[in-house]
Formats: sequence, C-alpha cells, structure tokens
Amino acid sequence: MRHQHLLEERLFECYLAERAGERPDPPAADHLVDCQPCAERYADLSAFMDGLQAEGTAEADAIFTHDRLKAQHQRIVERLLHVAHPARIIRFPGRRSVDFVRRSMTTSTSHGSSRWIAAAAAAGLFIGVAVGASYNYSAHNRSPQAFAPQVGAPLLNPVAVRGDNQQSAADDAFLSDLDIALERPHTRELLAFDAFTPHARDVVLNR
Amino acid sequence: MSGDLRTTPDAHPVDAGDDRAPRSGRLSAKGVGPAAPVSEDTRIAIEIRDLVQRDQLDEARERFGELVTIHQRRASRIAYQYLRDASEADEAVQDAFVKVFSHIGSYREAWPFEVWFTRILINGCLDRRKARSRRERWFVAGEVSAADEARVSTAKGRTDPEHKLLARERRARVAAAVDRLDGRQRTVFMLSQYGDCTPKEISAMTGLNESTVRVHLFRAARKLRGLLGGVEKKP
Repeated sequence: MRHQHLLEERLFECYLAERAGERPDPPAADHLVDCQPCAERYADLSAFMDGLQAEGTAEADAIFTHDRLKAQHQRIVERLLHVAHPARIIRFPGRRSVDFVRRSMTTSTSHGSSRWIAAAAAAGLFIGVAVGASYNYSAHNRSPQAFAPQVGAPLLNPVAVRGDNQQSAADDAFLSDLDIALERPHTRELLAFDAFTPHARDVVLNR
Repeated sequence: MSGDLRTTPDAHPVDAGDDRAPRSGRLSAKGVGPAAPVSEDTRIAIEIRDLVQRDQLDEARERFGELVTIHQRRASRIAYQYLRDASEADEAVQDAFVKVFSHIGSYREAWPFEVWFTRILINGCLDRRKARSRRERWFVAGEVSAADEARVSTAKGRTDPEHKLLARERRARVAAAVDRLDGRQRTVFMLSQYGDCTPKEISAMTGLNESTVRVHLFRAARKLRGLLGGVEKKP
C-alpha cells in the first residue's frame, strides 16, 4: 500500500533520467505508473521543461538560419588563415644588424679615409677643449664684483646692480633677499610650488 | 555568483586539457575521461592537434572546418540564449572557434572536445555579458533587432500582429526569468536546456560535482516555474 507521493526532487530526477535516455529509479518509476496525481505532476513538469527547451531552441534556430551559419563558417575559416601568421614585427637593430653595418663600413671605406676621419675628429676635440679652457681662464681673471650679480641672478634686483653705488646695491640685494625669504611660505610642501611660480615682484623688477 | 567557469583554479579553458590537474582524475573516475569511447569530434580534434604540431596548417584548417560544422549550431544556440543578441552571439561563436584552433596544442584527449569547446564558448559569453553590463551603465540597452524579431516570428509560422506580440512578450518573459537565475543556476540550466548536455557533461564543464549540478538544475526549474507561472501541483 502506498502512503506517500513523490517529492518534486524525485520527479525532476525522473525527468532528467528520461531526457538522458537512462532508466529512472525503479521505485519512482513504479510509483509513477501506479499513482495518478504523481503521473500528472510529472507530465506537467515534463511539459514545462520541454516547452522551454523547444521554444528557446526554435527561437535561436530561426535567427541562425542555414545561410547565416554558412556565412559564420566562412568567416571562421577566414579568421583561421591569420592564426598562424602573427603580425610582422620590425626588429630593432640588434647585434646582427650592428655587425652588418660595421662590416659594411670596414669593407666599403679605405683605411686612409677612416684615418682622416679619426684625425679630424681628434683635431675638433682638441680645438674645442682649448677654446673652452681659454674662455674659462679669461673669465676667472675678471674682478670678483663682476660675478656678484650672476651668483644670485634670479633673486637679485637688476636695477640695483646697475646703480652707481655698488656697495649700496649689494646691501639692497641682501635686504631684498631677506624680504623674499620672509615672504616665502613656511610650509615645506609648498616650497616646490613657490619655486616654480613667477612672482609679481620679479616681473616688476625685471621690467 | 557569476557562473564563470573559471572560478575553480584548474578551470581555465586554455588549461582545460592539463593532465596534471586533479580534475582529470575525477573525470576519469566519472567515465568522461579516457576510459570513455572517443567521440568523433574528439578524434578530429586530436588529429588537428597532431597536424598543427607537424606544422601542416592548411590541412589542420581544413579538418577544423569539420569540427565547426559539427558544433556550430549548438554553439550558436547556447551563445544566443546567453547574450540575447544575434550579432554578439555570432561573434562569440567565432571567437570561441578561433581560440580553440589557436590553443589546440594544449588540448588533451582526457577531455571530450565538446566539453573543452563549450567551456571556452561559455567563458567568452560570460566575458561579453560582463562587458555589456559595464556598457549598459552608460548607454541605453539595445533591443533585439527588428530583422531578427521578424525572422523569429515568420519561422514560427504565424504572422498576425497579435500572435507576434504575444510571442514576443513570452520570449521576453522567459529571457527575463532566466536572467533572474543565480549565475551558476543559469549556466547549468542553459547547458542542460539549450546545449543538450547531461548533468555529467555539465559537471565536467563547470567543475561542479554532478549532484550539485542536479540540485542547481532542480532549483532553476522550480524558480522558473514560479516566475513564469508554470503549474506546480502539490501532492
């Protein structure tokens, strides 16, 4: 005698087994044969699931027609043609190319001309060093006052430097430096911004 | 839960054929592994892999065309149900096939080709869904194109406007209900209903235990019946 109906889970197991072409659990299968309400519930469940599947499948198949699938197939084949051919990479001149250039240079130019090139480069270097040294020498021989305005160029007052009385100009510059130092922000984080920011006083003074 | 098949560490599609992964042993134990008879598509995939390894690419491409023919329709169904957009589904299927060919060297026969391919396809679809949801935060979501809608309506044989409207509403309701499923439930449901996969195959694809797959399927069906008004008679 039967006392209980099948639970939904058991019904669903039977449905899955039937879909996969397997034999459902024998007690459950026997019960479905004997019990009318459970058989109806099983039929409802099957109809619902099959309906969903059929509708979804039909919808997709209506969109992906034979022609569309053929076109898709064609596009896949076309894309596959590029799979084994990666994009061409232009190599940065490496050891081989450097060797090639070196070899071509040595073979194409004569020893005489390369010697001339080396001599010209050495002469150029020598002349450059000599001119630079003589320039520095003459600069060092100048009076120390001549350098005074250049040392603190961005902070100095050019108007004062050009004045007649050099001593008073130096004093003015010193006081001006003090003023600037006092006006500067005291917050360390702001010093960098301050250094980059043009000040109104510089603009006025440089005019 | 996103339903992404890469949630398990060994579930990356490209690495899917790795024999070292512990899942391979579990699959063999379940009979999906090498003990099971090799299917036609798996045999072709092995041949293609060997051809690629021998650098016979033209022949490999030709053989791959056969695989495309075998799986194309099923793949399009699954991708369409995931994405609900014909063009995007089309692209997802193409991408999956190209990816499979590019990584055919890493394919191992311990996995049926169908399982390997479906994992790659679904991961691609999930990526596209994610990208779309990001886009939709900023743009209005696109609807099913009129041409696709017309194709679906005419394919069903009825062309009267009322029937078209009702059918369209029903499809939208089903799609919305499926979309409300939890990520894994949705994946499992789609693979079962539209991919024609058995719980054992779904287990291999998702890395979930087979009994877990059955539970997800049951819950998905129950939820859909509740949402769509399917009759659920109490005993």
